[in-house]
Order: sequence, then C-alpha cells, then structure tokens
Amino acid sequence: MIRLEHVSKSYRTSTRPALDDVTVAVGKGEFAFLIGPSGSGKSTLLRLLLREEVASAGDVYVADLNVGRLSQRRIPQLRQRVGCVFQDFRLLANKTVSENVAFALEVIGKPRHTIRKVVPEVLELVGLEGKADRMPHELSGGEQQRVAIARAFVNRPLVLLADEPTGNLDRDISHEIMLLLERINRTGTTVLMATHDHTIVDSMRRRVVELHLGQVVRDESRGVYGVSR
Amino acid sequence: MRASFVFSEVVTGLRRNVTMTVAMILTTAISLGLLGGGLLVVRTIDRMQQDYYQRVETVVYLSADISANDPGCTSSTCSALRGQLESAPGVQTVIFESRQAAFARFQRIFQGQPELLQLARPEALPASLRVQLSDPARFPSIAKAFTGRPGVDRVTDQGEYLRQLFRALDGLRNATFVIALIQALAALLLISNTIQISAFTRRAEVGVMRLTGASRWYTQLPFLLEAVVAGVVGGVLAIVGLVIGKVAFVDRVLAGVFEAAIVPRIGYADIFSVAPVLLLVGSVVAALTGYLTLRLYVRT
Repeated sequence: MIRLEHVSKSYRTSTRPALDDVTVAVGKGEFAFLIGPSGSGKSTLLRLLLREEVASAGDVYVADLNVGRLSQRRIPQLRQRVGCVFQDFRLLANKTVSENVAFALEVIGKPRHTIRKVVPEVLELVGLEGKADRMPHELSGGEQQRVAIARAFVNRPLVLLADEPTGNLDRDISHEIMLLLERINRTGTTVLMATHDHTIVDSMRRRVVELHLGQVVRDESRGVYGVSR
Repeated sequence: MRASFVFSEVVTGLRRNVTMTVAMILTTAISLGLLGGGLLVVRTIDRMQQDYYQRVETVVYLSADISANDPGCTSSTCSALRGQLESAPGVQTVIFESRQAAFARFQRIFQGQPELLQLARPEALPASLRVQLSDPARFPSIAKAFTGRPGVDRVTDQGEYLRQLFRALDGLRNATFVIALIQALAALLLISNTIQISAFTRRAEVGVMRLTGASRWYTQLPFLLEAVVAGVVGGVLAIVGLVIGKVAFVDRVLAGVFEAAIVPRIGYADIFSVAPVLLLVGSVVAALTGYLTLRLYVRT
C-alpha cells in the first residue's frame, strides 16, 4: 500500500539529508509505527507520502500512484485516498463538529445527501454521536482529536497517516485514541503513525520502523520502542 | 462542484475583511468610472467631429472689386471661379455669398451686441464662395489651386479652428485615460492585496482543503470569485456614478451647450452602451489579477 524505494530527501537549507536511501513497505491493512527522535525524518517521510514534498531521489508509491510523478492536477486524487491527522488537530474553529467533518466531503464535491448520511455514521464510529453540534473549543483535547480522525476517515481513505496524534494528550486519553486508530485499522485501512511515545508503542506490540538521522535502523514486526532511548 | 458551498465561501471571505473589500470595490469603481468617462468623451468627440466637419466650409473670399460690383456672381471672373470650384475633385457644393448676404449674416450673429452692429459697414465684408468639401482633407489642394487667382482675395479653412478644438478635447480624453490607468493600477494592487489577506485569514480552511484532496478549482475559485465580485460591483457602481454624473453635473453645467447643439447631448443610451464594456473589463481584469496573485503568492 505504501512503498518507498531508495528514497532520499535533502533540503537546500541543510547539509545532511532528511531521508537517506530509505526503502520500506507497508502492506494493505497493516498498522505500523514510525519512531525516532526529533529530526530523524519521520515528518519528512509523511510529507513525501502526501506529496507536500517531492523526494530528491527514489520512488514513493501509495496504492498504485507513483507519488513523485503525479501531475499537479492529479495530486487531489492521492490526497483523497490518504487521510491525515496531526498533533495540533487542525480543526476549523468557526465550524461545529459535524460541519468540520462535512467540510472534508464538501470540498471534494460529494453530494449533500451522501454527506448527511455519512457524517453521523463516522461520528458514531469515533464515539462523538451527540456532540455533533458542539464547537471545537467546547471539546476536550481527546474529543478534538476524535473529530480530526473522523474528518480524516470520513472519505474512507486507503491509508491513514498520523503525525504524533497523541503528542498533546495525556496517557489515558492517548490510549483511547490508540483504540480508535486500531478500530479504523480493522476496517482494512492501512495506518502509519509517527510517534515518540514509548508507552503506546510498547503496549501495542505492532510493527515498528525506526528512523535515525534519515535512515531506517530497525524494522520489527512486533516491536517495542527500544531500550537505548 | 457544489455552487452553494463555493458561494458561501465567497460571502464569508468578503465579509471577513470588510474594510479591504470596500476599498477594493471603491477603487475599482473609480477606475472604471474614469474609463467610462473617457469612453463617453471619445464617443462625443467622434460625433462632434462628424457633425462639425459636415458643417465647416472652405471659404474663397473674393476681391474688393467683385465684392463691390458683382452682387450676383455674374461677372466672367466670378462665374469662372465658381465653375472651376464646382468641377474640382472633392467639392460637394459651392454657394455664392454676396456682400449684402454676408452683412445680413453678420447682423444675425451679432444681434446681441448692438454697439458692434453700429460700427459695422457692409463695405468691410467681402463676398465669398463657400465651398462644402466631401472630404475636409482636400482643403490644401483647393487652397493651392485658388490662392492668388484673379478675383480671389484669400482662401480659408474653418476646419483649422476645429482641429485646434479637437486637439484640446483629445487632450482631455487622454488625461482621463491616464488617470483611469493610474487608478486601475491602484485597484489591481488592492485586489491582489485583498486576495492575499483573504487567503491568509483562511489558511486553516485552505490547509484542510489541500489535505483532503480538494481540487485547485475548489480551493481557489472562492478567491477568484471574490475578485470578480469586486470587479462587477465596482463596474455597477461606476455605471451608477456615470448616470449620476450625467444628471447632476453634465446635464446642468452643459445645458446651454447642449441646447445650442454645440456639443451633442450625452444620453442614457451612450452610458448603457459603455456599461457592458466596463463590466467586462472590471470582471476580466479582476479575475486575471486574482489568478496571477494565487499563482504567485498562494501555495496550492
């Protein structure tokens, strides 16, 4: 589902490449952690998958799309297949919970009757039925992240990318978010989550890909965060 | 493409920076209004030119001898001149005006100034052959052919005075266009600036749109439409301004001039024939500015 082949990425402002000859593949329906200290290249890797950046060398594939070769016009096709959540939620402050979720469908031109049917379903999936008309500032951090996950998932993407989704949340809430991501993973969605939260990685016992200075230094199918750090 | 969604985004965008929106619309309106004014001046000048050049004559003033002794242009000199003028290329009509007729006309023109009439004597006015040319540009050849001929005093062209008048009017028109152009530049910068601000205040929405895979049209059309709305509203205001300008200023200040048919009246029909041009220029230029701004400054 996700495949990187000898991918390198250098930024003009830095002498050291952010990613250095990375080859890694994540299969359909898999759940994988992407770990490593700050600056190890986790975010760069996610940005390449979203075509926010283009690799300096190598090929990036998502499903059947060669991401680096996509024309400007076809980038939306990629992003409609890849959902994305972030540490800072990125909700629209002036829209209600259901409007926030509906927005993701409106902007890709989904018909209104579809939106009216799908949005309550996905809010129920993330456990926010009954909070549809709240504004984001009325919600707790955990609830806001659920809205963000609902928004990322409402168009049933093939892949869900999560960049430190629990970074702003305490342990119990983080655990609930992980359960939600697991539930989404069970629907067949590939989940790739960048994190440096030891507890979560250690408790989930899922595949772990570790980056260090832009290189893959470990790839274990049922890994832990690691003792060295 | 969901029209209602795009439309509501446009309204939100315009409402969020009301002051910038108003500034953008007003500047656009002034610029388009000046453009419209310039176009109206051009129309008026064109009509005046046709009208006036039809009325102007080339005048062949006859010598004192003929003026005094030949009130019917029957002498051989005078009738020969008339015959040659009539057969000259580009000449439409030739009318003989005797000294008496010239004096009568003089009295008619200056009937408001009795002192002048008292001083005037018919002997001061020459008889003339008044020539209507089908093409005013023919004047030099006529002047050359007839100046210095026996019985001819001098040949004059009324068109020369008109050309000076029209040069002044052309200057007025050009000045209007220059001001319109400067205003247009200000309007363009304001539109561009407003779109940038608009894009900045909506960066969260645009960010989400990009991530969820909205096409470029979806993310950028609201901004483009904001610019076009400014262009169209500015155009409408400009047209309203022209109508008000006509009723409140031109019709009143130039009433006498219109009455005397010196300047052709500017009608509503003139304004409404300029109106589509203003709307079109306003919306197309605004859309182009918006498009370029988005390409240059706003990441997709």
